[in-house]
Amino acid sequence: MNYKLLLLASLILFLSLITAWWITSRVPTPVTLTPSLSGQEEYCITCHADLPEISSSHAVKTFGCVTCHGGERLALDKDLAHSTMRGGKNPSDLTVVEQSCGGENCHSGSALEMQDHYQRVQTSIQSTYAGAIANIRYTFGAQPDLTARQGTYAVKDDVISTDTGLPSLEAFTPASDQNPAIQLFANNCLECHINAKPREGISNNRFTGCSACHSPAPLNSSKNSKDFGGTTQGSQVHTLTTAIPYTQCNTCHNRGNYDLRQMTFIERNNKPADRLHKYYQPIAEFTRCEYTLDCLDCHTRIEAMGDGDIHSNKKEIQYIRCKTCHGTPTELPLTKTLTDPNDIAIRQAFLNPVVDLKVGDTVLVTEQGEPLWNTRALPNGAFQMVGKSSKQVFNFNPVLGSACTQTGTDQSSAYCHKCHSVKR
Amino acid sequence: MRPNFFHHLHPPSIPAAQSRWCYTLGAGGIALFLMFVLGLTGILEVFYYIPTPENAALSVQTISYLVPFGGLIRNLHFWSAQLLLLVSAVHLVRVVFTGSYAPPRRFNYLLGLALFVLAILLDFTGYILRWDQGIQWALVVGTNLLKTLPIIGDTMYTLLMGGTNPGAASLIRFYAWHLFGLSLIAVIFVGWHAFRVRRDGGIALPPPSLRANNLRISRFVLVRREVLAMLFTGAALILISAFLPAPIAAPIKDMTAPAADASAPWFFLWVQQMLKWGDPFLWGIAVPLIILLVLSLIPYILPQPIESELGRWFPKSNRLAQIILGAIALIVIILTLIALITNV
Amino acid sequence: MPEINRRDFLKLASAGLLTASGLISAAALFRFLSYSTEPATQSEFDLGDASNFPVGSHKVVADIPAVIIHDENGFSAISLICTHLGCTVEQDADGFSCPCHGSKYSSDGKVLQGPAKKSLPTLLTEQNAEGHLILYLD
Repeated sequence: MNYKLLLLASLILFLSLITAWWITSRVPTPVTLTPSLSGQEEYCITCHADLPEISSSHAVKTFGCVTCHGGERLALDKDLAHSTMRGGKNPSDLTVVEQSCGGENCHSGSALEMQDHYQRVQTSIQSTYAGAIANIRYTFGAQPDLTARQGTYAVKDDVISTDTGLPSLEAFTPASDQNPAIQLFANNCLECHINAKPREGISNNRFTGCSACHSPAPLNSSKNSKDFGGTTQGSQVHTLTTAIPYTQCNTCHNRGNYDLRQMTFIERNNKPADRLHKYYQPIAEFTRCEYTLDCLDCHTRIEAMGDGDIHSNKKEIQYIRCKTCHGTPTELPLTKTLTDPNDIAIRQAFLNPVVDLKVGDTVLVTEQGEPLWNTRALPNGAFQMVGKSSKQVFNFNPVLGSACTQTGTDQSSAYCHKCHSVKR
Repeated sequence: MRPNFFHHLHPPSIPAAQSRWCYTLGAGGIALFLMFVLGLTGILEVFYYIPTPENAALSVQTISYLVPFGGLIRNLHFWSAQLLLLVSAVHLVRVVFTGSYAPPRRFNYLLGLALFVLAILLDFTGYILRWDQGIQWALVVGTNLLKTLPIIGDTMYTLLMGGTNPGAASLIRFYAWHLFGLSLIAVIFVGWHAFRVRRDGGIALPPPSLRANNLRISRFVLVRREVLAMLFTGAALILISAFLPAPIAAPIKDMTAPAADASAPWFFLWVQQMLKWGDPFLWGIAVPLIILLVLSLIPYILPQPIESELGRWFPKSNRLAQIILGAIALIVIILTLIALITNV
Repeated sequence: MPEINRRDFLKLASAGLLTASGLISAAALFRFLSYSTEPATQSEFDLGDASNFPVGSHKVVADIPAVIIHDENGFSAISLICTHLGCTVEQDADGFSCPCHGSKYSSDGKVLQGPAKKSLPTLLTEQNAEGHLILYLD
């Protein structure tokens, strides 16, 4: 009997058991999180413990990770765990946003309950890009007028509440439009709508879907130069906020100019060092408030996210004017005193507490009734605005009673700019 | 020493020539050992596996990632199963290429074939229990093949699946087949197969007058050799299972959604390849059954090996059987390789 | 050092390794079987506003199960799980009695009779910031 062989076999068995034990112990200890919303254990934070909270309204101990991102909550193998994630790293991409951010209990539903974000973004002009598409097709003879017929995706709207709202748009199919200019447009110019993959370049860097705006790149990202605002290519931004700085808007806006003859986009090529020069591109004309405030300090939620109707042009949705805040030589700006504790102004101020808004406070309100929640009427007749992103405090007087010599009826930008535009 | 229970399971002594590793390759014994490992690891998995469509894949994930050593147990179960099919095939080849199916061993040969088929069915039913997107199409295709049987097809499908489509009833029936139906039959047949080996005179050898020598080994030596084989096989299994995980995929969400991977399990790739050629009943059921029939008839129809040539590889007298088995094996292997290369 | 021949040494070493392998396997098996897939049971209960339990009240809360007593000394709670073998005791004329094997307790939980030997345990209560009464099981 070969006892040596028996010893060898026993030794090999013993070593294989030790090896198996060692391999097993190298797997990270599972760390569980049971979010109160779903009551189901998730193990994502075993590997992702250092990810920051995305926002105070979406606390991870309430939502967990899987409610928004999808994924396999019990798997500790990277590929399996990530295999069913919605939208890859970005569950707010418009192709999957309805399951991630939408849903009955979240950001999809009725306007009355202030829950119609999904419906508004789906039809908004920043998503459909209907205006640009309509203009090009009209210019090059593919449609008889400027009413939009196509958007970046097909969309329908059953409830039309404005005069200019459309019932539907088809998907833009450049292959069926003969004119080569339209083909060029499709190839070169479709990189700036909510669900577009942006161009290469750190200045253009943004996510798609809701995160295009609501997950702004950090302002002080030091990795690369950030000429016009933007993050380093592909860096993680796990954040959801309503305090969106102008730099995020500038990942699409103020990027340069179209050349319609060559159907290309000419990127701006200045290298600005300060906000005054970063904000708008070199040809622009603007007043001081237009560059000291962030875009969202004036532009309202309906302007940015749509009113639920499909529009043919951004002119149909943009309505903020200088007089909305400043009034005219003959009228004070519109105000509203808050009486309802559930007023949307108070809810918005709660989300981004740069001001302490209460029932009884008086805020400026737009012509369409949207309250400018970061403003207030001061007792001395002046007004105050606090920057939603910058948190700076600005006090200003109404035009009524000032030395302004304009009429109040011309609200085109060139009119006020005549005296108030900034030189740089 | 006094012989214990395990010693008594063996004859007091056997001819030394029968027990040579290079003769039997230890294939039958290793196959039996693998069945023990499968039974043990399988029982351990029963403690955590949940046979409902909502929970099956999640419970497999729990076993793989959360239960201490769960991943190891699952991998052991998976690799033992695949190794069992390979070792069984080696055993079949050995039996035919050494002419060991000659009378009185013809019935035992059929028992062995039945065990091979049972092992394949056990592997398939176990595969289905994962209930994830990797098995989804194998489930649909494999069971739809039943419907192609003339006259009895739909009834057989309902009997197997408990309904008209794969669902909760199918899962629990597959579970019942895997744990009890097939396993019980396999255990009985294994016992019978082992009994027949002894009753038929042990591992095939020429009659005593024609043997080269009369050397024998005792039951103690035999048992020790088996223990050695088990230790080495066990160690190899543990090492393989520690480093190579069993396949796993995301749970089935929607029975009709297109799955990323539409490959058959590896042991059915040859059938998947044939199914690309045409009629499903012909290529999916008839041809495999014909192959099984041919294999079953080898000891009955083809020229028998002669007594003096038993006990060694490649006897001249049953050359035709060797060629036929070799050809079948080669075809199955080639079809498998073609399927691997051409599957998207 | 006692003499040992080569064969016996090899046998001993093999036995030792196989025993060690067996012990490792047993340890792994033990850990494998000890895993619990059930979530932890609730140990904290929010009983609602404390004013639901006015002074002088004895309220049985069935799903814990416990009885909440509010007297001049404040709030207290007694578990209604019989200390014998775990059945839920029932209220009767002068305390509590267990339907399973006949144990009897006084109205403040002291064991009076029956196979049970220990009194019903008291449970910790406190009021939270919103004035709710919170019960703790441990």
